[in-house]
Amino acid sequence: MPKIKGFNGEDRYNFLLALVGYLGHRDEVALTEVADHFNLEAEYVVKALKSLNDATAQVAGFEQWPFYVDVDLLEDGIVSLTTAEVIDDVPRLSTRQAAAISAGLSYLAGIPEFAANADVNFLIEKIAAGSSRGLAEVISIAPGSVEAGADLLRLAILQGKAVSCEYINRKGEKSVREIEPLRIDLTAGVWYLRGYCPINHGVRNFLIEHMRAIQILDRDLSTEATQVGEIEDATYVADVTDTAVTVEVTPEAYRLITEFQTVSEPKDIGSGTIRTEIMVGHLPNIGRLIAKYGGAARVIAPAEARDFVRKYALAALGEAESSDSREIE
Amino acid sequence: MAKEEPWKPAKTDKSERLFQLTCVLLYSERGLTKRELFHSVDSYRTDLQTSNEDDFALNKKFERDKSDLRDMGIQVSNPDPKSDPDDMRYTIAADTFTWPEDIEFNAQQLQLLNLAAQVWAQASLSSDANRGLVRLRGLGIEPAATDLIGFAPRLRTHEPSFLPLSQAIEERIEVSFDYRKPNGETAKRHIQPWLLRNIDGQWLLVSWDKDQKAVRNFLLKRVVSKVVFRTEFVNEKESEIIHFAAPDQAIVADAIRDLEEHSARQVATLRVKKDSQAWFHFHLEDQAGDTADVSMSYMDIHLLAEELSEYAMDIKVLGPSELDKVIRARFEAVANAHA
Repeated sequence: MPKIKGFNGEDRYNFLLALVGYLGHRDEVALTEVADHFNLEAEYVVKALKSLNDATAQVAGFEQWPFYVDVDLLEDGIVSLTTAEVIDDVPRLSTRQAAAISAGLSYLAGIPEFAANADVNFLIEKIAAGSSRGLAEVISIAPGSVEAGADLLRLAILQGKAVSCEYINRKGEKSVREIEPLRIDLTAGVWYLRGYCPINHGVRNFLIEHMRAIQILDRDLSTEATQVGEIEDATYVADVTDTAVTVEVTPEAYRLITEFQTVSEPKDIGSGTIRTEIMVGHLPNIGRLIAKYGGAARVIAPAEARDFVRKYALAALGEAESSDSREIE
Repeated sequence: MAKEEPWKPAKTDKSERLFQLTCVLLYSERGLTKRELFHSVDSYRTDLQTSNEDDFALNKKFERDKSDLRDMGIQVSNPDPKSDPDDMRYTIAADTFTWPEDIEFNAQQLQLLNLAAQVWAQASLSSDANRGLVRLRGLGIEPAATDLIGFAPRLRTHEPSFLPLSQAIEERIEVSFDYRKPNGETAKRHIQPWLLRNIDGQWLLVSWDKDQKAVRNFLLKRVVSKVVFRTEFVNEKESEIIHFAAPDQAIVADAIRDLEEHSARQVATLRVKKDSQAWFHFHLEDQAGDTADVSMSYMDIHLLAEELSEYAMDIKVLGPSELDKVIRARFEAVANAHA
């Protein structure tokens, strides 16, 4: 969704063009309807309408006023574009706009959820046709794999019901949990359930592959769960009890810093190495998180965190006992 | 309205400058020269009060605005490219605002488009997608009450090389970059980039390698330098960006198929400890015994090693032996880096 906060000059320019095209197809329309339609605040729309009325163009030495939005009607909350001299429709999509949407659609097409959805492929064709220069394929997405259980969880979300399942956590501990499911996230081939956890009284992140024996319960979501607002995209959301860990990553491990919310501005310290601080909830987890990158990510401080990483790596090599060593004999 | 304030050109408001430039160009049938545009757009005219038409900053601003318009699909062109730069007349291509007849979406489809636009977690692609969505909304379709809630598929681009490479593919520009193989060897590669492909969350560049004279795939995360657009000297003083001819789409499709076949041929086998995280990961719920063996195909042994290192304590590699070596070497590197 477009958010005004993130709207820059290009976004506003783009909106002005779309707004003229939109109003050009209508006689009179309520201001609130326009705002809802573009998912923007009414105040922002009013400012844009003023910009249309203020726009002038010097044509052969004469001043032209290409647009006129009726200001008296606007006072009553009605938008009516009575003059639109040079623009009569929305501009076609730019190549980049079409490519970004189209790649998003191919990503959806590769997800089992949408594989049978005829609209997706129809839209990919239409987007290409609606772009100004046709569409050269820049980005393509290989189809992903199904995650067992995701279907059932989606159903529970649509029905607004809680679920129960057996869950294995990152420490290897198994338990039977009740979760109030809110959203399914799919990132880099990994499926997560964002759900309200009645025990922790908060939104938690569950790896769907770590769930089994999922059952939809005959229990509606709690008030707390229904009052959860927009869920952050970041997989790891920092908590006050978290430990700040300074890390250095080379390009092979940049993923680490985009998956965490970094607390300090990432700093390039030369030859592509970036230093930053990440927040880690359960410090012993740092071993697994860092060791995955095979040396491309390095903990600088605190010493305790470096220790966890070294011990984890040594345990994996069978050279030391880790706190949660679970090797196969 | 109660009090009417005279409008002044907001020098800082780029949107209004671009909008005015667009309108002025649309009014003109035979096109306008740069000089005429400088006198027709308020912001440029204000600049002229303290400079002149040859002013470097003003010309640069105009060039940037023109390229912004083009990036957003407003086709600024000049009908007679051979004319002297000062006499060039700029126009906006007539079909810029004309949509194909049958471009109609229903509410359900607009919702899918919404979801597709939200897929991009990365700022710049997300804004391209959302600007596109604003235009589609401008066509007037009302989104339906949603049944796509509760689902958030995301595509992430962690690699700084992603944007320059997508631009190079779009404009068919030859590039060079430093590529570091898993053994640490770094070399400069000269590439004609064809396609960015996402495979299970990894971004791969499908391309023509100028040095190897062969199709080559590069993992974006192993690109360790800036992506440079290659140039060549056209005479003693001037250089130009090197473009290449569009690849035959059948060859690109072959390259993708070759990679898939290559992945299918490479198989690793693991022994997994019962009821461990790996047991859950490989969905071995119904298997009897204290361990179970699983096989999987893989594209790149180092990527597989990275994925499996999360489960190092729960698995034993049965084959290939190289996989075990790679996993061990990675953990040794970690231990050494934290000694």
